[in-house]
Amino acid sequence: MLKIFVLIKQVPYLHNLEIDRRTGTLIREGVENIINPDDLYALELGLSLKEQYDGEITAMTMGPPQADFALRECLAMGVDHAILISDPIFAYSDTLQTTLVLKEAFDNIKDYDIIITGSQTSDSSTGQMPYQLSEALDIPLITDIFTMEIKDHDFYCHRNFGHESQHIQTGLPILVRTQRHFNEPRHISLKGIKRAFEKEIEMYNFDTFNCPDYLDGCNQSPTRLVKTEKIILKRKNEVIDGTTKDKIERLIHIMQEHGIERIWTGMSQDE
Amino acid sequence: MSDITEYKDVWVFIEIKDHVEVHECALEILSKAREIADQIGQKLIAIVLALDAEQYLPTIEDYGVDKIIYLSHNDLKHYHERVFTSLIYNLIDKYKPSIFLFPSTEAGNALAARLAYRCRTGLISDVLNLELSDDYGNNLLISDKPAYLGNVLVKIICPSTRPQMCTITMGTFQKKKLKKKDVEIEEVEYNYDINGLKIKILGAPIRKDKPSSTLSDAKFVIGGGHGLNSKANFDKLYDLAKYTNGQVGGTRRPIMNGWMPEHLQIGISGETIFSDLYLSLGISGAIQHVVGITDSKTIVAINKDPNAPIFKVADYCIIGDANEILEELLDHYRVPE
Repeated sequence: MLKIFVLIKQVPYLHNLEIDRRTGTLIREGVENIINPDDLYALELGLSLKEQYDGEITAMTMGPPQADFALRECLAMGVDHAILISDPIFAYSDTLQTTLVLKEAFDNIKDYDIIITGSQTSDSSTGQMPYQLSEALDIPLITDIFTMEIKDHDFYCHRNFGHESQHIQTGLPILVRTQRHFNEPRHISLKGIKRAFEKEIEMYNFDTFNCPDYLDGCNQSPTRLVKTEKIILKRKNEVIDGTTKDKIERLIHIMQEHGIERIWTGMSQDE
Repeated sequence: MSDITEYKDVWVFIEIKDHVEVHECALEILSKAREIADQIGQKLIAIVLALDAEQYLPTIEDYGVDKIIYLSHNDLKHYHERVFTSLIYNLIDKYKPSIFLFPSTEAGNALAARLAYRCRTGLISDVLNLELSDDYGNNLLISDKPAYLGNVLVKIICPSTRPQMCTITMGTFQKKKLKKKDVEIEEVEYNYDINGLKIKILGAPIRKDKPSSTLSDAKFVIGGGHGLNSKANFDKLYDLAKYTNGQVGGTRRPIMNGWMPEHLQIGISGETIFSDLYLSLGISGAIQHVVGITDSKTIVAINKDPNAPIFKVADYCIIGDANEILEELLDHYRVPE
């Protein structure tokens, strides 16, 4: 049976984001959390592979205990199992530390065929994790696919790579990164919601894996955030008043100031 | 963890675009890296892996490098993750650079992330500015990068591991020609066995040029949104573009409505524009779109809702019907028969 894993992240919903002026960090209280939007495409691909190849799909995330809500949503969408990797010592992990923890988790799971990720998280937006996990697990990362097939434990697909379209074959296990708008993520059904609360979420922490000491998000992450600033965009904000005619005259004047003139195309108008 | 004081020099990965030319972004990065190298009194070294790599060296020498390290081989014609990662990792291991900068491209991002993992060091992606500071450690690189969909700017350091690695988007820095005397050139022998690769390519690859958009190079960009109400109205943007030598782009909504192809999207999941003038018609101004337009010198927004967020980022705000104004503009610019 095809063992499918989808990696998701719970992120803050980016509406009215505010920064605490004293500490320079984001105010997270009262901010709604959602599944990272790009991860929904990964989930949809995982669910459709499960249906096509009679597989078993697990959603996995690393985060604080409340990330369990994001996993419940995945269960409601139809995933079979959910794993939450959560430990205070993993807090503040950067990409490298997160990758090292995920490597421990997969080394512990052992039996996996396809790991699927989204393209980027909306909070830290590094986009590095799929590449680093590919290094860590020493399995190929396939990106930008447009058709795929699994036969006899081999993975075949067409993908865009640089300026080429390639037909490739590789053995499992593999990592697949989905691109945005790759598919149409499904909605949650009422039956799904009921099931989501009947299932158990498996918990992994530092002790589950016999973790090496270098897994310490706060002290061992190589990158450190030293300051957060809200981006304030300075613009003139001049309101152009008057009649429609006045507005258009002023607009044409502004366009002229920017070197925009009517050009003679040498072609007649398409009418 | 090795002693970080052993690490020195500033390295830049020189990406070769479509195996024909040096990527512009790499030249821009070289110019910024030159400043950094001067400030810390160390060398600027360019790293090149390509087929017939020698042909690119004269261009690179014009951008302030002290040294070029290159590998030249048929297997290096295209970027390959395993080959490039291993070969460059060997160079890092041997020479120990303190700073290593990459263009933020498909290959540059992939390569930098893989190398950062192998070196167990930090990588900061899509950096907007770099400066050296003693605030957190001796001559430490401070990188500014946008986060939370461009809502905030964060400053990040990599204090105790090396190299300090960053990827940098095209257009962030300006390239400046500068020729140093006696540029040192070192060729490193290619020694990678490609027979062990896990991915097999079946059949001949097809050259497939992605629909390319020239939005990022355009001087005048005309953006359309949901407020144009119909495909017929949206199509008029193309007429205006034709008469004014402009380029049409837009938000996510026109794509969803089937009015505009996907590759013309401006914003977080599309293109970033650097135009002299951006004219926005019927666009409300969601942050996903706004982050793609703020590098434009002047922004004019037309929207009938005076509270539309687009006005907060516009230089000139026209409260009115975008379709009516578009029609008048066409009347003005239309080429007479």
